[in-house]
Amino acid sequence: MSTRGVATRKNRYFDSVFLMAVARRLSEQRGVETAAAVMGSPANKKILIDMGFSGQALDLAGPNDLVVALEGDENAIRAVTENLEEWLARPKSELAGGMAISLDDALSRQASSNLAVISVPGQYAAREAHAALDHGMNVFLFSDHVAVEDEVALKRKAVDSGLIVMGPDCGTALIGGTGVGFANVVRRGPIGVVAASGTGLQEFSCLVHRSDSGISYGLGTGSRDLSDAVGGLSTLTAIDALEKDPETAVIGILSKPPGESTLRTITERLNRCSKPAVACFLGLVADSLDGDARFEVCATLDDAVAAALRLAGTDASEIPASPADQSAILAKGEAERMAAGQMYVRGLFAGGTFCYQTQQVMRRSEIIVHSNAPLDGMRFLGDPQTSIGNTLIDMGSDEFTVGTPHPMIDASQRAKRIAAEADDPQVAVLLLDFILGYNASADPAGDLANAISNAKQVASEAGRHLSVVASVCGTDGDPQDLAQQEQTLRDAGAIVFASNVRASSFVRDIVLQRAEVTG
Amino acid sequence: MATLRSLMEDGPIAINLGLVEFAKALRDQKKPAIHVDWSPPPPADQEMQDILDELL
Repeated sequence: MSTRGVATRKNRYFDSVFLMAVARRLSEQRGVETAAAVMGSPANKKILIDMGFSGQALDLAGPNDLVVALEGDENAIRAVTENLEEWLARPKSELAGGMAISLDDALSRQASSNLAVISVPGQYAAREAHAALDHGMNVFLFSDHVAVEDEVALKRKAVDSGLIVMGPDCGTALIGGTGVGFANVVRRGPIGVVAASGTGLQEFSCLVHRSDSGISYGLGTGSRDLSDAVGGLSTLTAIDALEKDPETAVIGILSKPPGESTLRTITERLNRCSKPAVACFLGLVADSLDGDARFEVCATLDDAVAAALRLAGTDASEIPASPADQSAILAKGEAERMAAGQMYVRGLFAGGTFCYQTQQVMRRSEIIVHSNAPLDGMRFLGDPQTSIGNTLIDMGSDEFTVGTPHPMIDASQRAKRIAAEADDPQVAVLLLDFILGYNASADPAGDLANAISNAKQVASEAGRHLSVVASVCGTDGDPQDLAQQEQTLRDAGAIVFASNVRASSFVRDIVLQRAEVTG
Repeated sequence: MATLRSLMEDGPIAINLGLVEFAKALRDQKKPAIHVDWSPPPPADQEMQDILDELL
């Protein structure tokens, strides 16, 4: 008979990635059925209570306290809780090269520090970022849930000091060939990028690399920078820097649509920029710029890459390895193999920008989709756990990541959702993104290969043909090996494309075919 | 005292607070990165800090 136990440690902080690894190792112990290791935030405690855990230790745990919850054989649980410290010890190799006890201690060891990389919980992030700026460092602020007034204060302070705050909610930067955060191994080249979206910058830089060109600098700004509340403070700083940078020949700007007045500010700034520029404001209605722009405005990341390459005058090869020219024929072939009633796409995305961009591809063909992050004109998916018709889900959004790592690191939620979608006889095609590079999962394709092949098999046994379409954002230099990742997906039965736009266009063709067949 | 320009010219010389993986990835790219063993301020300190922030 199984039992439940909860152990806590007061004022012991561990990050969610480390705790995920602890929970995974615990759950592999003989006799342990369920294991969770989280900080005792209200949201995490609610998840544990919903899982059936209870008791005084859990009730008293606060956000600064560690909570380990276990279900299974009584002896197994006792063995873990009596030796909890051993389970919480970090491998010594992780700390090779020195660890400081504070920002001041770190600065005393490395006085030339020029960048603070901050990923602490959001409520503490602004204070740490202010301290870094006060010490004369630029800031890469990965943390989210930072108040917008804190963001504005930080960015104003940075402007006054000739520094930049990349973030909050900044996933990626490329600083002269070095990736910060979630970044790919990309060669240096003539194209400089300013990006409000981490995955947008990753996709753009990978496609530039795969076209034999390169990136001078990719400066993140955080997802809210071009809102009217923030006014593009970091974007303007980054444009100034890239305009002065001798290595940069072309400047690309990637973002969701800016606020109205910020769009005017950015348009005016790019119009007087001495270097050619390309803007991709995903989801922007075309006439919002009123013909004012004296720079290229592109609807998709792929179009922006093509424009930037052309403006840079590079002799770039076309983005390789996609059966694009045969795409429509292949889509028709896939659609013809499907059973009556198979009509819809279910897109399960690790990258929020990909969820957004796929909706844009669908909107152009007047295909209505439901999403937890809907583009203008699309429908809001009230319960993100339950798909309706065509559904595209950003699985990196808050409702999926409270208490668990991002799907770029941990594929378990996507694996479960793939299985659920495969059981739905109305589903024609699954659309998935795979993001390689530093700090992503060591094997993103391998993490979901079984889920993909099982989904296809379940559908097949029910007399259906389920298409699985994937895009892989990565380069040949990435630690995960792009070619191997693509092959793993093909072996699992997926059709693989080199970009999200190409995969989305293929899926759109299938959906249109199925709508035609089923009337 | 760094600037954005010096970051771009010298490359990242980083101090990392939070996910240790970010420091490890920089070191994998042969860039200096010191990881800070960060933990949240105790709740009492937090309240006091908020009061000080208000006053200052």
